[in-house]
Amino acid sequence: MKKFCVFFLVLVMLLGLVSIASASVPGKILIWCDETRAPVLEEVGKEFTAKYNVPVEVQEVGFGDIRSKLTTAGPAGEGADLIIGPHDWIGELIENGLLEPISLFTELRSKFVPVSLEAFTYGGKLYGLPYATEAVALFYNKDLVPEPPATFEELITIAKGLTNREKGEYGFLIQMPDPYHTFPLLSATGGYIFGENPDGTTNPLDVGLANEGAICGANLLLRLVTEGIQMPGADYQTVTGLFNEGKLAMMISGPWVIAGIKEAGVNYGITKIPSIDGQVAKPFVGVQGFMISAFSENKILTRTFLTDFVATKETMLKLYERATRPPAFLPALEEVSANPDIKGIAISAADGIPMPKIPEMASVWGSWADAIELIVNQKLGPEQALKDAVEYIKSAIQGE
Amino acid sequence: MIKKFLFSISLKIIFLGILDALAIWSIITFIFDGYYWVGGILGLGVIIINYIFLTERSYPLRYMVPGLIFLVIMVIYPIFYTIFVSFTNYGTGHILSKKQAIEQFETQVYLPKDSVSYTFQAFKNDSGEIKIIMFSPEEEAYLCENKEIIVKVDLSDTRFLDQDKDGIIDQFNGYKKLDKIQIIQKLNELQNLRFKKDEYIIKLVSLTEFKVYGKKYQFDPSLDRLLDLENGKIYHNIEGYFISEDGERLTPGFRVNIGFKNFIRLIKSPQISVPFLRVFGWTFLWAFLSVVTTFTLGLALAMLLNDPYLKLRKIYRTLLIIPYSIPAFISCLIWRGFFNTEVGIVNRILNDFFQVIIPWLQDPIWAKVALVIVNLWLGFPYMMIISLGALQSIPPELGEVAAIDGASSWQQFKKITFPLLLISLAPLLIGSFAFNFNNFNVIYLVTQGRPAIPGAGTPAGATDILISYTYRLAFEGARGNQWGLASAVSLIIFIIIAVISAIGFRQTKALEEISKSV
Repeated sequence: MKKFCVFFLVLVMLLGLVSIASASVPGKILIWCDETRAPVLEEVGKEFTAKYNVPVEVQEVGFGDIRSKLTTAGPAGEGADLIIGPHDWIGELIENGLLEPISLFTELRSKFVPVSLEAFTYGGKLYGLPYATEAVALFYNKDLVPEPPATFEELITIAKGLTNREKGEYGFLIQMPDPYHTFPLLSATGGYIFGENPDGTTNPLDVGLANEGAICGANLLLRLVTEGIQMPGADYQTVTGLFNEGKLAMMISGPWVIAGIKEAGVNYGITKIPSIDGQVAKPFVGVQGFMISAFSENKILTRTFLTDFVATKETMLKLYERATRPPAFLPALEEVSANPDIKGIAISAADGIPMPKIPEMASVWGSWADAIELIVNQKLGPEQALKDAVEYIKSAIQGE
Repeated sequence: MIKKFLFSISLKIIFLGILDALAIWSIITFIFDGYYWVGGILGLGVIIINYIFLTERSYPLRYMVPGLIFLVIMVIYPIFYTIFVSFTNYGTGHILSKKQAIEQFETQVYLPKDSVSYTFQAFKNDSGEIKIIMFSPEEEAYLCENKEIIVKVDLSDTRFLDQDKDGIIDQFNGYKKLDKIQIIQKLNELQNLRFKKDEYIIKLVSLTEFKVYGKKYQFDPSLDRLLDLENGKIYHNIEGYFISEDGERLTPGFRVNIGFKNFIRLIKSPQISVPFLRVFGWTFLWAFLSVVTTFTLGLALAMLLNDPYLKLRKIYRTLLIIPYSIPAFISCLIWRGFFNTEVGIVNRILNDFFQVIIPWLQDPIWAKVALVIVNLWLGFPYMMIISLGALQSIPPELGEVAAIDGASSWQQFKKITFPLLLISLAPLLIGSFAFNFNNFNVIYLVTQGRPAIPGAGTPAGATDILISYTYRLAFEGARGNQWGLASAVSLIIFIIIAVISAIGFRQTKALEEISKSV
């Protein structure tokens, strides 16, 4: 018996070695997507199979793992034909030679929100079929704030009146130390991440996070702390938790918290982020979309699947139902634009700017978060903190 | 007896046969795919397994084989791979092999100024061969002669049949027209077709059209450079990128060996060398404190639980092991919430009873204290379990004898129990030290290496240990992932831990010498 077990073990191990299956095989579309969207694509895939007799397989992969999995599996010939992800992945994926450009007919192009196509364009070529946009916005508890503030001065006044930290009541919070959620404060007065070259491409050496406007925004952030509104240790769980308990009147957050708020039964509203010094606060806009692998054996087939079966009102609405985001497909957007959640997010996103997608962004997040942390913990002045961060970002990008 | 022997022999031969068949099949596949190394190693492994099972002399090895195979796959291979990667530029922009990158460049095309699109009809004969008739914008028809050439044809020729008279050819020379569904099923063949037209190629772009393209790049292996066929530009291979003389860089790049560059960068870069000593110091202190605090608490509880007069021992023991059985990452995240300065339970209690508020995660010192507390919670049950085991192996007579000689219980512990415990526990403590030296999870989940240090000019936070700092450098620096650099750092960390452990084990040997003379 023992011997048998040994044999068996060895055999299993060898089988493990042998079964290196090649995933993208000619004549079958393989899709990697997260569990939220998988059911929709499975359904659409069945329609495709029924019509053309070509199998479509949907594999669930954790949302955060899709990019890294394609990076390792793609060149080894084991990647999917089609993946789902946000547009700011494409810079890295293209630099790694993993994405195939998608050409769309003008007629189909005109059915998409222009900024969503722009977000998926890199070096003049389109690399993704967008389906949803998202951006942070001002979430407010209607029971505590009947009329949302239009300016940040108003917001500070309201928030001060509602903050009682001894009792655990808060007027307004942003999660810390988070560059993504604080960016609207910096961008309103003229802060930006990367500037543009004359030809419209991104210039990674022009970092606008320590210019006058950005410092002005960071001072506002500091003011929120010194006036006792913002607590420095507020992280994602704290902020959303307090809002869901009804103990937080306003927060800057994104569509991913909507389901939780609904479940908690808070009477909430979503609107654009208040203006700062009379200027519009511009959040980052993220666009979700479909991308075709450069190592796909079925590029034309996959593109046909996308243009004929995914870029339809029905599919786009089904995707919308799984996760509440404003669709990037105009016919679907028109259909759902009456939904107040979508209206709020869409209004905020309309002012936004697409998240930079060049791979140099990797060096920005960490040191930028450090700078914000130092500012809200009052360890360093906004100007110095941001200047240090920019200096580091630049030297990291230059490969020191 | 003989029957049983025959049975085991035949079982052995059947299994080895299956194994060898699978191995030969996969080796052939590997070699055809160009993975000579994998094929070779697999072949060698299978020969060794056959040898072990077929000779009597190597009988004991049979029981070691599964373990050895796992050792090779999970320990030795990753180590060698890490060493290999540390000498390459593997990372964002350099993922593909050179061969793959060149393949991608050579399949790239450009749209010539006078490019035209052709609509097409595809035809198939009974043996599955495919022919294409293409129509230029001027309605001229072209028929593909073979896989490369198209020639102009006159569709009024009698071999082209239009049976339903709708102006579309249905059939010729036994080839029948394909409808859209059939085209989709034959797409894999169609998309690989490349017809020549002057210096250009015609290839499929969508379900309805072929288009004229020019080949964009040509690789010249003898000069190791890439030629742009559209504008004549030359790109040279410089450290994993094709770069033109005026500095234009083509993507994607590819993996190349860059020698000691990653290591030189580690030494030269001020972002890495300046905080290194500070990070190293804290890493050492962290690992040391982790071991000392968890061992002290674990041992104290073990002594308590070992006392036969204690009631309900089993219940206490079970309860005390609970922290060990909860996944560490859940505990870490919960503790992170506990330590929240304003809404965390720790500060609420402190505020209610002592009116103090501690900036747990905002202050460098308190953040370190918080980390040690979290790790104490996570680590003491392990220390308690191993101490309980070791305590039970100490003969109680020793204590009795000492008591008769008039030793106090503290003296008994100090002079007898503790030294005897250390003999069996010291190697485990060294292991625990090495583990905590690289305890990425706790650091990353509780503080993420934060808080930041003002004016540091580096991404190293106050509670970053070497491994979490490596993570930041490799994955949050420059432009994406730098696996080459990360491998170089982990190699250095490996050497540091190896040295510390070697010294530690030498010390425990000295301890064993002492115990022999007791």
